[in-house]
Amino acid sequence: MNKPADASRSGSASEDESESASEESVYSGLEDEPDTSSDEKEENNQGDDGDQLPDEYVEDSSDEEDIRNTVGNVPMEWYRDYGHLGYDVTGSKVMKPKHGDELDEFLDKMENPNYWRTVTDKMTGQKMVLDDGDLEMIKRIQKGAHPSTSENMYEPWVDFFSSETMIHPVTNRPADKRSFVPSKWERLKVGQMVHAIKMGWMKRREEKKSKEEEEDPFYMLWKDDEEPDITKRYRQHIPAPKLPLPGHAESYNPPPEYLLTKEEEEKWKEQEPEERRQNFIPQKFSALRKVPAYDRFVNERFERCLDLYLCPRQRKMRMNVNPEDLIPKLPKPKDLQPFPTTEAVVYKGHTDMVRCVCPDPSGQWLATGSDDNTVSNTTVLIVNPGLVDKLLVSNTDTLVMSFEDSQDAPAEKKVPVDWIASDLNLEDYKTGLRLKVEHPKEISQVTWHAKGDYFATVMPKGESMSVLIHQLSRRRSQNPFSKSKGLVQRVLFHPVRPFLFVATQRFVRVYNLLKQQLTKKLQTNCKWVSSMDVHPGGDNVIIGSYDCRLSWFDLDLSTKPYQTLRHHKKALRQVAFHPRYPLFASASDDCSIIVCHGMVYSDLLQNPLIVPVKVLRGHTAKNSVGVLDCHFHPTQPWIFSAGADGTARLYT
Amino acid sequence: MEDEAPHVQVKFFTKQKQYSVPDTPFSVPADVDSKQLSRETEGSGDDSDQQVEFDFLLDGVFLRSSLGNILEEKDISFETVVELEYVERQPAPRPENSLVHDDWVSALQAAGQNILSGSYDNTIRLWSTEGEPLMTIPGHTAPVKCVAWIHQGEGEETSTFVTGSHDQTALLWRWHGDSNEVDCVHACRGHAGSVDCVAVGPTREKMCTGSWDKMLKLWSADCSTEEEQTDDTDRPNKKKKSSGFKTQTRVPILTLSGHSEAVSAVHWMDEKTVVTSSWDHTLRLWDLQQAVQSSLMQGSKVFLDISYSTLNGLIVAASADRHVRLYDPRSKDGAVVKCSFTSHTGWVVGVDWSPTREHLFISGSYDTVLKLWDSRSPKAPLYNMSGHEDKILAVDWSAPELMLSGGADNHLKIFHHSNTSPT
Repeated sequence: MNKPADASRSGSASEDESESASEESVYSGLEDEPDTSSDEKEENNQGDDGDQLPDEYVEDSSDEEDIRNTVGNVPMEWYRDYGHLGYDVTGSKVMKPKHGDELDEFLDKMENPNYWRTVTDKMTGQKMVLDDGDLEMIKRIQKGAHPSTSENMYEPWVDFFSSETMIHPVTNRPADKRSFVPSKWERLKVGQMVHAIKMGWMKRREEKKSKEEEEDPFYMLWKDDEEPDITKRYRQHIPAPKLPLPGHAESYNPPPEYLLTKEEEEKWKEQEPEERRQNFIPQKFSALRKVPAYDRFVNERFERCLDLYLCPRQRKMRMNVNPEDLIPKLPKPKDLQPFPTTEAVVYKGHTDMVRCVCPDPSGQWLATGSDDNTVSNTTVLIVNPGLVDKLLVSNTDTLVMSFEDSQDAPAEKKVPVDWIASDLNLEDYKTGLRLKVEHPKEISQVTWHAKGDYFATVMPKGESMSVLIHQLSRRRSQNPFSKSKGLVQRVLFHPVRPFLFVATQRFVRVYNLLKQQLTKKLQTNCKWVSSMDVHPGGDNVIIGSYDCRLSWFDLDLSTKPYQTLRHHKKALRQVAFHPRYPLFASASDDCSIIVCHGMVYSDLLQNPLIVPVKVLRGHTAKNSVGVLDCHFHPTQPWIFSAGADGTARLYT
Repeated sequence: MEDEAPHVQVKFFTKQKQYSVPDTPFSVPADVDSKQLSRETEGSGDDSDQQVEFDFLLDGVFLRSSLGNILEEKDISFETVVELEYVERQPAPRPENSLVHDDWVSALQAAGQNILSGSYDNTIRLWSTEGEPLMTIPGHTAPVKCVAWIHQGEGEETSTFVTGSHDQTALLWRWHGDSNEVDCVHACRGHAGSVDCVAVGPTREKMCTGSWDKMLKLWSADCSTEEEQTDDTDRPNKKKKSSGFKTQTRVPILTLSGHSEAVSAVHWMDEKTVVTSSWDHTLRLWDLQQAVQSSLMQGSKVFLDISYSTLNGLIVAASADRHVRLYDPRSKDGAVVKCSFTSHTGWVVGVDWSPTREHLFISGSYDTVLKLWDSRSPKAPLYNMSGHEDKILAVDWSAPELMLSGGADNHLKIFHHSNTSPT
């Protein structure tokens, strides 16, 4: 492989002079065989037909013999029905020789020893006896040899310019340089091939073959039956669109009912050219010669050309599908009862926007927060309203007050949060105030952990301290994140597992609080998240955003939204799941609350079913702010809402 | 033109003897309604000294549109003789009085000549039926949710009643009518939520309370102050002082749990059976002797109030979906809802059967209207009684002639019901 140039040198000079002596014998004997066949035949003919015909030698030379019948090279069947066979040079008919009957034939066969070599000449109708030369020629033809014995087709080859070095060469030219220098071009060519083989562009023959065999052990048996595309197209010929035939209206002298009245004409002129039923106004002329030249002729030709040019060339298989069939079948809202349908109660009393609303866990009481008497945005008040079971109330008080500041200033990270317990004698205590948690910045959200000992606060302007987790029983606050990952909008505790959902403007991060690491990062695909809620099962999260979208995330499925609902016309303010029923709702600035059925199946293969069921209205917008908060009743399929119009409402 | 309308053969009958007519069929046009029929029967009736209006029933349902329509609706042939029952028309209730409170009127009950009302200003008030305020009783520390008379002696000196409140107690009171003094005799403690409903048994010895804590409790309604009771329940810090009388704490005889949500109303059916309605969409019947739940009726919406009539043995239940439904506790199979009455546009929070008339009941709703219904006319109420300016919170028809309603507009409205002769 590396030395391809060596190949050219092989077999250059092997010396063998065995056949040089026979060169002479090749050329001998070419002329010594006389051509006597034609003469002999004539003699034979003479012998046979001597009694019938006059002696030819008298007047004719031997080469005139063939011209006796002058009809030329025509099929002799033409003379089948005539008595003659043709005409001789003088114009007289050459008569057909008499033939004996079958018996004569038979006798001839029996008696004539030359019968087997007798043939009939078609031109003359004469019988001829083939001589030995003819027979020999026939035999040679049958054998596939040259008819003439004098021709030898396989004479020995004389290699004048052989590779063998002769003592006396035919030419005495010195050998070319290229005959002993390896070829440069071949080397390049071979080099290319070697490179191609190395790179895998070229395959060796056996490789190719084996690969082909591997590739296609089976072949299409009826492959040739398939029509090529072009044939198909010919078969489905689509004729060019035909011009409509002219009607009565197009006549130069149409019947009066085809002529347009004034109103019709004006109407026709007002219409768009596409809307017109006919693209001309019928006109009446008294005679054909008065018809002027057609001014739209060129336009019409052009349109016709366009029609032909744009006519469909292919028959498209059109699916006759009802578009409604393609929509997935959703159950009717009627079948998804219960859900809130009507406004039942309006809670008046606030004078300004009601910011938040929250029912107590038994559903008997409702807490609302409003803008009308804001104390301080930087304090979390822990209040025991004392409305429920007396025993529960006193136990809660005991728990809250049982804190003893025993551990002396633990060396933990400094969190600038002050816990201030309310004095037993103060008026505040009697109204229920138990604890104050002072924060350095404004708080936007407070959320409880399911167990009730921890709660988290969000300070959007707190930067690295924007999320704080507080423990009530130990009156301790901690900052779970060392640096901020964006403007935190909402935080939520997972209902069952130790996860914390943190929603920033565009992402929702799920942190594992035990391992202290990021577990998931949900991409909301919206501009600004406004609200978030987690399904009571914990595997589904809904996100509301200021760009009118509600996204449903299936945490098991993906980090992208499973479904995005865009039913609201304005920014979403709050989203909420029902703790028991398969319902969720979204409150928006367009003054509506949309309640959706959101069924989550325990079967992991079945995706959640989301059906919008009801739009609840009733609130009025104020300063282009509509509904600010919504919260489901803890046990009933009812929803509470807080509006900018200073009311809270209950829908049942 | 008039003659073209088809005529129907009609036979009239009645159960009210004084209005009976001969059993001859009449031919009336099919487009006749009950008013025209009433006029017609007047002409044929024998006593015409006073104008009496009638209502007509076809198969136990009031005629509210033309006869022909109803026949078509019920698929009855025009050829047959239609038997129409007629009863004297219910006269319109008359608004009689309006009693002003300081806060929402959340509970009320009338008995004899007195009306008892509970309000959200934590007080209980006593009124005479004429509207005279007799007494304002502070005692509860939270809004009063339910009141009930235990014993209202007409001629006797003392009357007793029970009140339940958000402060999770029910208080038993004794009222001396002559001296107009009231004593808080017993404080019933045991509930862990607001006491929302109370009902006194027919024997006046027991009472039941239902609460937001999902429990139903049976108490003794005995208001005598026995000395042996004072011994063991002497807890000075819990005592409620009212006119210098020492309140004794009482504990429940029986606690029945079963409801998964708050108990909204309780009613006695006989001496040992009570029926409760709850926010968990169920009605439950309780056997108090065996202290078990004897039966359960599943509804579809939150029940806010029920009423049981001993006259017809039916339960009428008000629910949060604006409907009033009629239940038959005796039927065990199939649809337990016999009938539903739909006319309110808000939550129906109170229903009460008439104490004397088998078919009549009233219902009050958040849509501020009190409605008088006949159970034979499910499509439309007999009368709408408006007057409240805010939500109605409680209704009562304990006294046969007084229909009471209390609302969030701090008013207690009294409507006089002139009783017709019983059917």
